[in-house]
Amino acid sequence: MNLKKYLTLTRAGIIESLQFRLSAVVMVIGNILYLIIVYFLWKAIYASSGTDVVNGMTFTDTLIYLVLATALYGFLEMYFVWEIGRNIQSGKIVLDLLKPMEYRRYLFWSYSGTFVTHFFFTFLPTFIIVAVFTHGAIHMGINLLFFIISVVLAVSINYSIDFIVGTICLFTESIWGINMMKQVIVLLLSGATIPLAFFPDKLREIVYCLPFQSIYNAPLSLLLDANPQPETLTKVFGMQIFWSLIIWAISKLFWKVSIRQITVNGG
Amino acid sequence: MKCGTIKHRCQPYKQFNTNAEREETMSAIIEIKNATKEFKVLNRREGLLGSIKDLVSRDYKIVRAVDNVSMTIRQGEIVGYLGPNGAGKSTTIKMMTGVLEPTSGEIIVNGNEPYRNRSRNAQDIGVVFGQRSQLWWALPLVESFRILKDIYRISDEKYDSIMKLYRSLVDIEPILHKPVRQMSLGQRTLSDILAAFLHDPKIVFLDEPTIGLDVSMKAKIRTLIQALNKERNTTVILTTHDMGDVDALCQRIIIIDKGKMLYDNDIEHLKSFFGSYRTLKIRINGDHEKLAEEIQKELPDFSVSSDEEWISVLVDEDKEKVIDVLGKLQKSHDIRDMQLDEISSEDVIKKIYEEGVS
Repeated sequence: MNLKKYLTLTRAGIIESLQFRLSAVVMVIGNILYLIIVYFLWKAIYASSGTDVVNGMTFTDTLIYLVLATALYGFLEMYFVWEIGRNIQSGKIVLDLLKPMEYRRYLFWSYSGTFVTHFFFTFLPTFIIVAVFTHGAIHMGINLLFFIISVVLAVSINYSIDFIVGTICLFTESIWGINMMKQVIVLLLSGATIPLAFFPDKLREIVYCLPFQSIYNAPLSLLLDANPQPETLTKVFGMQIFWSLIIWAISKLFWKVSIRQITVNGG
Repeated sequence: MKCGTIKHRCQPYKQFNTNAEREETMSAIIEIKNATKEFKVLNRREGLLGSIKDLVSRDYKIVRAVDNVSMTIRQGEIVGYLGPNGAGKSTTIKMMTGVLEPTSGEIIVNGNEPYRNRSRNAQDIGVVFGQRSQLWWALPLVESFRILKDIYRISDEKYDSIMKLYRSLVDIEPILHKPVRQMSLGQRTLSDILAAFLHDPKIVFLDEPTIGLDVSMKAKIRTLIQALNKERNTTVILTTHDMGDVDALCQRIIIIDKGKMLYDNDIEHLKSFFGSYRTLKIRINGDHEKLAEEIQKELPDFSVSSDEEWISVLVDEDKEKVIDVLGKLQKSHDIRDMQLDEISSEDVIKKIYEEGVS
C-alpha cells in the first residue's frame, strides 16, 4: 500500500501538533488581536471615504474577506522555509535525505497533519463564527465545494513556493531575510492583507497573472461568490491548476539541481 | 616512515573456521575504490573590509577531505572507522550513504552507487548520527517505530519479530511509551539505534554512538550492537573516539587521518603492536613545557608531550617498565600527581603516523 507511508506521516503530524496546546491558544489570541486592528483600520477607511461601498465592496464584505483570509493564513502558513532552513543549518537534513522517500514529499507529508489540525482548530471555528454573526452573508451551497478544491490547489502552490524559497537557503545559509521577503510578497500580492479589489487597475491586472493570487484571493472569491458563473470557475481553477503545475515543476527541478550541487560541494 | 606505504602492506585478512562461514562472509557489501572527495572552500578574508570583499570573491581553495581511499567491507562485519576530528570519517560515511557524491573513484554499496539512487539505497541502510535524533521528538517511541514501519514498509510479521528480539535484548518497556523529548541522552541513543535496525537494513552506520554516555549505558549499547549484528548479520560501520567501543565490538579497524587511509586490518594485529604501550601522566610544579623538554632528554626512547595539566610520556613496556620510568623521574623531579592510561586511539594514530606498522 503506497499511500500508507504518507498517511502515517499525516497521522503523526496530527498527534504531534495536538501536543502543543499552549501554542494553539497563543495563535488564536494573536489572530484576534490582528483582527481587532483590521476592524478599526477598515472602519476608518470606510468612514473617511464617505460612501458605503468602496471598490464594489461594502464594509461587511471587506471584513468577512479579511477575517477569512486571516483564518486561511493560519493554516496555509506552515513556516516551511524556517523548517528547511533550520534543518540545513543543524544538519538534520542529512537524516531526512536518508529516508526512503523523496525529501520534498517527506517534508510535505510530515506537515500535512498540521494542516488538518489547523483547519479544524483555526479555520473552521472562524468560519462558523463569521457565518453566524453575518446572518447568511456567506452562501452555503456548491461554493463550499469549490472553495475546498481551490484550497487544496492553494496549498500545493503555497508549498511549492515555500519549497523554492527554502531551497535558496541551501546556498545562503541564512533564513530570516529571505523568509521575510517571501512573506511580504506573498501576503501583499495574494490579497491576504488587502483585497485585490482595492488595487489600482493596472497593478490588479498584473497581480491576476501572477501565481500568488491563487493562494488567497482565488479560494476566498469562490467561497464568497453565491452563484459562480462557469467562466469564472474555469478561469479561477484554470489559473490555479496552471500555476500549481508550473511552480511544482520549478520547485522540483530547482531542488534537483541544488541538491546535486550540495552532494558535489558539501553542505 | 611515510603513511602512504602502510596501506599496501596490511591487506585485510580474516581467519575462517569453516568453509561455510567463509562463503557467507566473503560477499562484499561495500566496495570503495580510490574514492576522493574535494570541497571548494571560499578563502575568507579578515576584518570588516575583508568580509565585504568576500561577498564578490571568487578566490576558492580546494580542500581534499578524503584522499584516495579504498576498502572492501563484507556482509556481517563490524568495522571500526577511526581517526581524529576532521580526518574525513563523516565525509566517507556521507559518501557511503549517498548524501555526498565522490569527486572521483567508485563506491558501490549493496550493488548500487548510493548517490545515484539515494532513496532506494536508504531502504537497505540505517544510520545513527551522534547526538542527532531521527525520532519524532514529541511522540512516544512506539509511535516513531510505527511511522518507520510504514515508511520502510515493514510487514507486520517482520515488525513483530524484530520487536520480540528487542524485548529479549533490552528492557524496552519503560521507554516504549515515553516521549522522546523526555528521555535521557542514553535512552535516546538506545532508541535511535533500535530505530536504525528496525527495517532490518543490510548495513548500519553508527557515527559516534556512545558520545557523552556514562559507563553503564556505553556497555549496554555495545552489547546491543553486538547482539543485533550477530542476530541479523547486519554489517556495522562504527566511528568513534572511544577505544572501549573498538575493543568491545570491532574485529577490524580502519584508520584515516587527513583524508588518507593509514591502516586497515584486524584489531588484534594493531594491539600486538601497541599493546605494550602505556601513557604515563605526571604533574610537576613548574613550567610544563620546559620540564617536558628536560624529560625528553632524559628519556630519549619515548615521546614526551605536555599540556597545562599533565606531562605525558608514552612508555613502551617492552623496552622499559613504567614503574622504572617513574622511579627515574622521581629522582630528578618532584612529582605531585600521576595517572596511568592505556594507549588512547589518538596515541595509536599518532604512533602509526610517526612510525608506521610493519
